[in-house]
Amino acid sequence: MQSELKYVGKSVRRKDGPDKVTGRAVYTQDVRLPNTLVGRILRSPHPHARIVRIDTSRARALPGVKAVITVEDTKGIKHGFVETPRYPPDQEVLARGKVVHVGEEVAALAAVDALTAQRALDLIEVEYEVLPAVFDPEEAMRPGAPEIHPSHPKAPSGLANVGGTTATEWGDVERGFAESDYVREDRFDCQLRTHGYLEPHVTLAQWENGKLNVWTSSMGTFVKRAKLAKVLDLPQSSVRIHKTYVGGTFGGKIDLYSHEYCACHLSMLTGRPVQITASREEIFNAYRHSQPLTLEIKTGVKKDGTIVAQRIRAINNAGAFRGSGVVVIFLAWGFTMIPYRIPNLKYEGFSVYTNNTVRAPQRGHGAPKVRFAIESQMDMIAEALGIDPVEIRLRNARGPGEKLPNGDDTHRGNLSECIRVAAERSGLLAKFGRDRSQPPKGTIRRGIGIGVSAYMGGTLIYPNGSGVIVKMNDDGTAIVLTGAIDIGQGSETVIAQIVAEELGVTPDDVKIISSDTDTTPQDIGAWISGMTYVTGNAARQAAGNAREKLLQVAAEKLGVRADELVAADKVVSHRLNPELRMTYREVVASSIAKRRGDTIIGEGFWRTMRDEPAHPSLATTRGRWTENYAFSAQVAEVEVDIETGEARLVKAYTVHDCGFPINPALVKGQIDGQVSMALGHAFMEEVLVKDGYTLNPNWLEYRMPTIHEMAESEDADVITEQYRVGQPYRTKEVGEGLISGVLAAMGNAVYDATGVRLRSTPFSAERILEGLRDLEFQKRKKHKEVRA
Amino acid sequence: MLRSDPQARAALKAPAQVVSLRVNGEWREIAVKPRVTLVEAIRDLVGLTGTKASCESGTCGACTVLLDGRPVVSCLTLAVACDGMEVRTVEGLTDGEKLSALQEAFLEYGAVQCGFCTPGMLMSATALLERDPKPDRETINKALEGNLCRCTGYNGIVDAVLAASGQTRPRKE
Repeated sequence: MQSELKYVGKSVRRKDGPDKVTGRAVYTQDVRLPNTLVGRILRSPHPHARIVRIDTSRARALPGVKAVITVEDTKGIKHGFVETPRYPPDQEVLARGKVVHVGEEVAALAAVDALTAQRALDLIEVEYEVLPAVFDPEEAMRPGAPEIHPSHPKAPSGLANVGGTTATEWGDVERGFAESDYVREDRFDCQLRTHGYLEPHVTLAQWENGKLNVWTSSMGTFVKRAKLAKVLDLPQSSVRIHKTYVGGTFGGKIDLYSHEYCACHLSMLTGRPVQITASREEIFNAYRHSQPLTLEIKTGVKKDGTIVAQRIRAINNAGAFRGSGVVVIFLAWGFTMIPYRIPNLKYEGFSVYTNNTVRAPQRGHGAPKVRFAIESQMDMIAEALGIDPVEIRLRNARGPGEKLPNGDDTHRGNLSECIRVAAERSGLLAKFGRDRSQPPKGTIRRGIGIGVSAYMGGTLIYPNGSGVIVKMNDDGTAIVLTGAIDIGQGSETVIAQIVAEELGVTPDDVKIISSDTDTTPQDIGAWISGMTYVTGNAARQAAGNAREKLLQVAAEKLGVRADELVAADKVVSHRLNPELRMTYREVVASSIAKRRGDTIIGEGFWRTMRDEPAHPSLATTRGRWTENYAFSAQVAEVEVDIETGEARLVKAYTVHDCGFPINPALVKGQIDGQVSMALGHAFMEEVLVKDGYTLNPNWLEYRMPTIHEMAESEDADVITEQYRVGQPYRTKEVGEGLISGVLAAMGNAVYDATGVRLRSTPFSAERILEGLRDLEFQKRKKHKEVRA
Repeated sequence: MLRSDPQARAALKAPAQVVSLRVNGEWREIAVKPRVTLVEAIRDLVGLTGTKASCESGTCGACTVLLDGRPVVSCLTLAVACDGMEVRTVEGLTDGEKLSALQEAFLEYGAVQCGFCTPGMLMSATALLERDPKPDRETINKALEGNLCRCTGYNGIVDAVLAASGQTRPRKE
């Protein structure tokens, strides 16, 4: 029987809120252990060099230095973001033989205090033989380019430094282009952008009695444990990752980092806790940022804007190791094929080694770049055909019940509906083209643009599924054990809401114990946009399992059938005769009395597509991906000062389909945060790198949005799914898919305001002014030609 | 960074000084080297870890505390320069277990996600409301411009400050 929902679908306050506004929340940097040593890393000063000799003896001799390690002290076990037969682990925890990027980890040490550690670093002597380096992926691919690593054995022969490829096609693109009424080809680029998590990378490791206790700022404790145990050659049961709150990640804390290994190894050598904190400068100079992607897109359409064929070539500047570079070129295909129907497609992606820092996933994992490129081109095509930006999108957008090329289903997902609502809410068509046709007085021009995106949720990557345990307490309240890690998205709150709803208690009755690898069940982690779906469904099952047990015990005691009973408000009662009732406290007591001490514990497990193999092929794209696709359409209004070239986002409209919103306030928080991050991408942020060296390694010169750049953000939720107690439900993605459409929309809005079409991000004042000057030049040239 | 041995040794050997700080109403005496920053003193010596260390170069505001009522980035403030002064941190905002109106508003209006900027943000906003109980939008922007938040886009934070000062969010367009 479906009753009204009490806690799910409501903007319940954050569980972690009180701790976070009082300073009680414990982050990794707040964990204190007596006798802790300070760890530091010696990093490469060269982008590419052979290590001739390392001499650590002077550092070791310095009083206060407790241990120094180089790669020779390790077991040489490699790790990688991807670890598959095609892409085996490729990176050691410290450099062996040569360094391949500035800031690569060469040695590590632990000392009694920071100053001693710093002095000791200066005493390590490393002799390098500098090698030629290459930073641009297209140069790096050319035969004869400096070899960073050998090309992948399956890469097209003759190309250098190709770490991996993705290739797929369907239909016949050449015939498609021939049958098209209009064909155009464009090339798009984007900048290197950093995650900007406020909490720096930090790890505390303590080796004690054969057990390694680790506190580290991460996005998934079980992933970290698996990787750490492997490179340390320890059983997983000997490594415990403790829960800490995490001060922002945005993709940048999922990979295994050298400092995490080094803190552990140094603690094992010294028998004392070791803490390593990365300075902000180190993070900018040496840590992993996003993946600059170059996209060449050729698209053929019918007169009415229907896409006939598309050919895409993606080149990823993947940095000095494989990292997630080979995933990005796979995902770039994915983010192409989800939103629009493409009858004929040929896609090829190259992940290319360069002597830049290694790359990590970053919120959207390639989608912002892909959607910026495609959505920009859609507007160019629409203009050439004389149709409006809404019409061309509706012509191609996916609706419910469509089969995707990989065999997945859009289910009730509906991009067309998102586009319609976004256009209507924002008054897009009434505003579009206004300032271009009738320029207002003054120097401020206003423009509006639209972009769409789609994102998958809960795909299968290690550890693929989540488990949750619900323990009933004697008084009828519950403790929930979950591996879910709260990185700010609010997982603890959402899980408490689901358990409260399913179990018939209040969210306050539910206490969450989370993300500790020893005491909580395995969890997928906060990194593939599926925690609310995967862990949420496991929580639903676990709470449902506990509820079934409560009903069973009560049925025995009351002498009725369990299916005649309902559980709500911590009371089990008979459907027809409410007098026949037991409180949860009484049920638990009865269970313990009748069942020789057995209390009530519920368990639940969940995995996306249980019968599918682990993941689709990164090389061929074959294989199912997920059952949850979220669609979105976003509109941006921007203002551009045509005198200075400065542009800003004034207002964003987000219309999305996140399935069923468990907590609308948390959904809103994700939207606002992504709009803010997207405007940073669009107008402000760029890690400037010259010859492998970062030129702006701090927040004064790398500008992130401040409160002055805050844009008005309005949203509407196209709710396509229902939540029913006791039944599996589908929540979709909302944490990273909404950074892309709005980025594209800003590009289109800048064009609408000024007539300047930018094919690379960021849309800096310089680029916009250059575009305006170019337009002026073209106009004059035309004028001259006419006069002549 | 200290590059040469004599310099480093001199820094290590500089004598510690005893500094008195009134932290959240309690007088504390701590012995600090001249190079110790206020954020280090608060977190490591006083033992209050609510104040966060992030950029440690004065660019993000996460370590903001109130020094004699004025917001300062404690990573750029030397502890020895604070002798005899009053320091207020996020731990001092509650009245016992009771949250301040601003803390309540932060929870109510979605001003908190990962929470790492929150202590500094709360301190800057507290100082603002103490000197201007009904700040307008420009004044709020000015007061919080040194505090970076990567999660919320600032929308929830602005709403919370307006709500805590008894102002409803002004409607635009």
